[in-house]
Amino acid sequence: MNLAANWHKFKTLYSVWLSHMLIYRAELVVWMLSGTVPWLMMVVWIGKAQTEGGSVAGFSAADFGAYFMAVWLTNQAVVAWVAWELDFQIRQGELSPKLLRPLDPVWEYWFRHLTEKSVRIPMAIPLAVAGLALVPGALAAFTPNLGAFLLFLLSLVLAANMRFFAAYCIGILCFWTDQATAIDDFWFFLAVFAGGIFAPLTLYPQWAQDMLQWTPWPYITYYPVQILNGALTGPAVLRVLLIEAAWLLFFWLLSRVAWHSGLRRYGAVGA
Amino acid sequence: MSNTIFGNVFGKYFKLMALFASASISAQLEYRFNFVVNTIGSILLAVTTFFGLGVLYGNGKPLGGWSFTEASVVVGLFLLVEGFMGAFLAPNLNKIGEGVRTGSLDFILLKPLDAQFLVSSRNINIFRLPDSLVGIGVVIWALVQLPDITLGGVLLGVALMVCGLVIVYGLWLMLATTAFWFVRVENMTELVWSLFRAGQFPVTVLPPVVRLFLTFVVPVAFISTVPAEAMIGRIEPINVVLAVVVALVVTLVSRWFWRFALRSYTSASS
Repeated sequence: MNLAANWHKFKTLYSVWLSHMLIYRAELVVWMLSGTVPWLMMVVWIGKAQTEGGSVAGFSAADFGAYFMAVWLTNQAVVAWVAWELDFQIRQGELSPKLLRPLDPVWEYWFRHLTEKSVRIPMAIPLAVAGLALVPGALAAFTPNLGAFLLFLLSLVLAANMRFFAAYCIGILCFWTDQATAIDDFWFFLAVFAGGIFAPLTLYPQWAQDMLQWTPWPYITYYPVQILNGALTGPAVLRVLLIEAAWLLFFWLLSRVAWHSGLRRYGAVGA
Repeated sequence: MSNTIFGNVFGKYFKLMALFASASISAQLEYRFNFVVNTIGSILLAVTTFFGLGVLYGNGKPLGGWSFTEASVVVGLFLLVEGFMGAFLAPNLNKIGEGVRTGSLDFILLKPLDAQFLVSSRNINIFRLPDSLVGIGVVIWALVQLPDITLGGVLLGVALMVCGLVIVYGLWLMLATTAFWFVRVENMTELVWSLFRAGQFPVTVLPPVVRLFLTFVVPVAFISTVPAEAMIGRIEPINVVLAVVVALVVTLVSRWFWRFALRSYTSASS
């Protein structure tokens, strides 16, 4: 297999899945709005700031608006459904024909992830801007410079791949158990708190902040948001990017090992 | 005479409910590992929700007039309602759309029983019950710490809780019933329930506009905040009346809407 042949396959996968995702654009808007946790938390924290003389631990209502809309946007870019897709397809036996193709199935799921984002993100941006416009002063508080924005994009690409390969590992669990999607829910519960979707991590107790440094979740939402809002600069940004790359490598290797041992257990349904 | 007919009809429906429940439960007891995984999930959800509440109260100031322990009652009631929805409502009402789409609703309409009863009671998902148990535990834990808790207040709270569950059922039935016209409604249901996540906080924490919306448009306030107010003994009498009235109205309107929808049902194949 040479690079040109693969490039052709990738282009085909991208255009096939892009048209698939465009059909479901209305559903995508509904799913986007269903991810209400950042919106709810924004309202709750703004309510708290208003009753406590305008700010909580240095965050004004406008700061909370800017923070939570950046969190919501980041969430839209990193959300991954691959655990559910794998679970469904392995159980229904739909994985079998994919295994016969001369390309590892991970690519198909990966392009599905990528095309979903290509449709979702352009629709998410106006909603986030609308959210910012609703909170007085939030648009002004949300003014990333070009450098910060480009670094944010880089960290977002790493974060989206981290989440994708972590979800892929969880999906692979369904070679052993039919509870893979329930385990993916665990990830979601943990991500809400550990990823800073509930509140900026600086409002957490110190021990929790220290502990969370050792988990993947802050690197998927919290730190990309901090880069976007300009709270991190220089070496701190580099450190975040390196840790993200390390987590990505870890989840990728884990998914390769798990995939190969899972396939050995795969008795195709209906075959 | 009318008394015995009344008794017979209710006896029949209760017997059927018990039968449906035992059939669902024995089917699901096959999967013990699922129960373990789902219980871990319930505990994880409760712990992370609590940790979040702790962060929200991090500077020790009360929120919207609620102390941390008082707000815990709301969190516990919310977990209880979530478990109820997952265990009793979702496995039934989410199937109405499918029944309309595939025409399998015909089999229900042909049975000599009330169709609304049948679509609402056939399945129970016992794996979601741990959510409710954790919720009840949280409520009890919070109530024993609070001063001035009276038995009357707690009983009133339980009664209002029942009103809240009735409201949730009626609203969900109406949403699911729109499937007779719109066929694919699961996503819309998802969107409305995501608004219900706001019920994990006392509504007074929220800014006034949002509070009004969550009281009168999507009545989230009645499922957790109002029963909690009764339990901790600070409820306004007007809220008791409102909760009962909303529950009655939702029940009657959803019943009427369901029958109206059935009249326009033409089955999938004809």
